[in-house]
Amino acid sequence: MSATPYIGYSQLALGLVFVLLAGGASLWLKLGLGREVLVGTLRTFGQLFLMGYVLVYVFSWRLPWLTLVLFAFMIFFAARIVARRVRGWGIPVFRPVFASMILSYMVVTFVVVAVVVQAEPWWEPRYFLPLGGMVVGNSMNAMALAIERLFSEVKNRRAEVELLLSLGAEPAEATAAMFAGAVRAGMIPSLNSMMGVGVVFLPGMMTGQILAGADPLLAIKYQIVVMLMLVGSTTLGSVVAVMLARRRLFTPALQLRAELAADSVQ
Amino acid sequence: MEPLLSLQEVAWRTPGGVEVFSGVSLEVRPGQVVWLSGPSGGGKSTLLRLMNRLLDPAAGEILFRGRPLSEWPPTGLRRRVALLSQVPVMLAGTVRDNLLLPFRLRAARGAQPPGDPRLRAALAELGLEGVGLEDRAAALSVGQQQRVAFARLLLMGPEVLLLDEPVAALDPHSGRRLEERVARAAAQGLAVVMVSHQPPRGLEAPPRHLVLEGGRLEEQP
Repeated sequence: MSATPYIGYSQLALGLVFVLLAGGASLWLKLGLGREVLVGTLRTFGQLFLMGYVLVYVFSWRLPWLTLVLFAFMIFFAARIVARRVRGWGIPVFRPVFASMILSYMVVTFVVVAVVVQAEPWWEPRYFLPLGGMVVGNSMNAMALAIERLFSEVKNRRAEVELLLSLGAEPAEATAAMFAGAVRAGMIPSLNSMMGVGVVFLPGMMTGQILAGADPLLAIKYQIVVMLMLVGSTTLGSVVAVMLARRRLFTPALQLRAELAADSVQ
Repeated sequence: MEPLLSLQEVAWRTPGGVEVFSGVSLEVRPGQVVWLSGPSGGGKSTLLRLMNRLLDPAAGEILFRGRPLSEWPPTGLRRRVALLSQVPVMLAGTVRDNLLLPFRLRAARGAQPPGDPRLRAALAELGLEGVGLEDRAAALSVGQQQRVAFARLLLMGPEVLLLDEPVAALDPHSGRRLEERVARAAAQGLAVVMVSHQPPRGLEAPPRHLVLEGGRLEEQP
């Protein structure tokens, strides 16, 4: 492997030119994004340096529990982001999202690291955390899309849901059609990205490996595994998240929650 | 005879906390038809939805066969105290698909779905001889859909019928036939609560008439 060209702090500072461009545009065009540019830049530096140092230690200590705790920590933040994105519906989903992420992302990451990459041991942090991180980062959007779609479909088609309930349907039966639409919404982006990969865009991980001097053929093999893994994790994640979120739409007496029920009294 | 359905001091408030009605008490016995009228927005539809337990009252209690609704499994209860909504809802598919919908649910386990002759008879007695079982349900007129929805309800074999303006979208002749079918259901021992702005004319005897107005339910002489 040839050495990756070194980036020093002065070169890193040069990268700030791009941020100045964004800040300048905000001032000049009165976009009001100055705060976002500043906070975003600080967080990018802060979070990545922090993660970099954490990874240095985690890689050298090689403790299984620490690897898993760090992974759970990443999932916790991803679940928070997803829960906030669908907060407008007034139906709290943090716990179902977190539970479905823990379940599906652990399974997919384990299969990739232990069975496909065959890392020894299976929790080897150098493989487990970056691959797991990619699962989380790429699948959380799918989950947000799926839940968002479920809520909006059920609200739009609440007459149908309430008809089925009134005929004695269980919530799962009353929302079967909306369930399918929500899972589809979660799965389609990762299926689409399989269509464009290598032609329309070069994925970040593959680019990174090539920059780091890896053989492009090895890089694409990893990338193929990652693409397949994302299809698996978005599918599993969307199905479980929608199943758990759906329960939140109904009261224990199998009534559609007021947040999604008819707005007016007749 | 024991009442099939009884409401005791039932109240309802909007999610915003505005009281729509309160102190609503009512007993409906087998074979009885109750005609419920009152101004729009007075909560008539809500009252029916409370009895089908799509909603729970803000105060008071509703009993079916002497037991509070909360003690019945919701899916089974809703099939016995059946609700016909004001706006008919047809699912994608044929008229047959829609008529058999209640039999496709887990709550219908063990029940034998009716065959085509019985489905055709159920349509014919509501004046839908011209509607085929293979017709697309969504393509029917609102009045036809309303009657398909009513036939769907009757096929389920309920004990109480909650009918929300079942004849509003029908021509006078079809409306009369539907009301005659309601009368036959009552004669077979079903209890009926029917919301309507017009007095039902297809019944043999004038029904009990109650008016929900100004948040109160009043029995009319």
